[in-house]
Amino acid sequence: MLHRTVQITVNTALLLLVVAALLPFAFMVLTGIQESTTVSLAFDPAKLQLDNFVRLFTEYQFGRALVTSAVVVVLACVVNLVVSSLAAYAFAKKPFPGSEALFWVYIATMMVPVQVTIIPLFLIVRDLGLLNTPVALILPIINAFGVFLIRQFMSSVPDELLEAARIDGAKDLRIFAAIVLPLIKPVLIALTVFTFITAWNDFLWPLVVISDESMQTVTLAAARLQGRFLTDYGLVMAGATVSFLVPFLIYLFLQRRFVQGVASIGLKG
Amino acid sequence: MRATTTTVASEPIPGATDSGPVQQRPRANTRRRSFSGLGYLMPSLIVLAVVIVAPIGMSAYFSLTDYSLLGEPQWAGLQNYGDLLSDTGFRQAMWQTFVYTVISVPLQTVLALVIAAVIARRLRNRFGGFIRSALFIPVIAAMVIIGSVWRYLLGTEDGLVNSILGLVGINNVNWLGEATTALIVVALVTVWKNIGYFLVIYYAGMLDIPEDLYEASSIDGAGGVRQFWSITVPSLRPVTFLVVILGTIWSFQVFDLVYAMTGGGPGGGTVTLVMAIYNTGFENMQMGYASAMAMVLFVIVFLVSFTQRVLLSRK
Repeated sequence: MLHRTVQITVNTALLLLVVAALLPFAFMVLTGIQESTTVSLAFDPAKLQLDNFVRLFTEYQFGRALVTSAVVVVLACVVNLVVSSLAAYAFAKKPFPGSEALFWVYIATMMVPVQVTIIPLFLIVRDLGLLNTPVALILPIINAFGVFLIRQFMSSVPDELLEAARIDGAKDLRIFAAIVLPLIKPVLIALTVFTFITAWNDFLWPLVVISDESMQTVTLAAARLQGRFLTDYGLVMAGATVSFLVPFLIYLFLQRRFVQGVASIGLKG
Repeated sequence: MRATTTTVASEPIPGATDSGPVQQRPRANTRRRSFSGLGYLMPSLIVLAVVIVAPIGMSAYFSLTDYSLLGEPQWAGLQNYGDLLSDTGFRQAMWQTFVYTVISVPLQTVLALVIAAVIARRLRNRFGGFIRSALFIPVIAAMVIIGSVWRYLLGTEDGLVNSILGLVGINNVNWLGEATTALIVVALVTVWKNIGYFLVIYYAGMLDIPEDLYEASSIDGAGGVRQFWSITVPSLRPVTFLVVILGTIWSFQVFDLVYAMTGGGPGGGTVTLVMAIYNTGFENMQMGYASAMAMVLFVIVFLVSFTQRVLLSRK
């Protein structure tokens, strides 16, 4: 009897937590699809409309921002995967004199927050003439974390397997692409999902390197709406909804990958 | 997947103590093989050099100069650092970042631990999985978007928060209008966002605690709360350590949320370290002075994560 009461109390508390986690998003969407220039909790089906979304795309270049974000995100994922997995292969399977020391340097770079390097990085990007380009946006997304994560998994691929392929006459690059990569697919997907969300949600760096409105990312476009219309809540929340929708849909499809990724961060220590 | 990671993590770096086939090969062949790895490393080496290593050096150099972006950097020695010491605005930003950290980190750690324990001990079923998934949703949203949504919900007149509080007789609080409450509210929103992330890390850690421990203590008559204190909490000490360190590092890097929720106001009451760097560098064009602030951030974050590495590798 007592046990049952405890159980019900615990479950109710957890459900309340879920409500607290999701309610803000529900109101974000509700405000976006209603005709509202004031803050209002009243939900009136008669006021339902998609006008805010239409305005986002016709007046505030959200279509263009979506394309920019998509390009940036795809570029960031591909480049990060290729660069990181090649480097991880070198560290895990093709060590050279000094590679252990170099790996520690890699780990050390993970302790440098982007915010610390933002000023010189801005100057480098400016001098290279890359301001307002997608290339500038992906640069700080590529870091040592991917190398670190992939290396951990590559080390679990048995050396004997690679040796056998080598005896069969396979070249290194072929061993890498045909044997190692397929075996570590889960971590590659997890890293892709991570890179995707990081690139899509990035804000400070785009704020610094993108001044041209035709090159802004979705997050930037949504934030600029708020700066411009402190009181047009419907429009601002519609912008927030558009920005949130893509990561949310990806999460719905790839939930387990997210959780795996986060869990493996916890265990890497 | 989790099991693999744990075993792999404790392995030495391959090749360091490798024996067998490699050593049996002719010497020339070994040498050719041993340096070919460098080629695979090149793309990432170049990117890291341009994006992190060179900028850190440049940041250190700029911090010793006066640099307005218009002219060349003018050598200023330790002037900027001296100025930081007496700069009340900077001191305020440091203090506010500290307060924000002290509010958010313990709260999110304890809440994530307790919720994870409840789910792992009582609800290892679909309902538990659903709760983990739902609490993870704030994690995937951009900080800047969360900032603008909460700014809306906290709106004075008829915002969600005041409307709910109105039901229990608390009248319109101007949450973001007072410096003190604004800083606390920003910290609480951070907790709201981070719980799902740390919950997953804790949950993964809990699955590694041997079930026998709980069974044995049940036979000895220990209840759930007792087990939590005597088994769960001590077993998860390394995870707690990681969660606290990660949370602290993130706190010192906060920018997006504050930018969207308060813009640093009211009266500079929510300006954090990174916001001070941004304003000084990109609004006031004092790149040298902003770089000095960035170096302070660098030292703090580096020390915190270095402590983590040292303490964890000793285990």
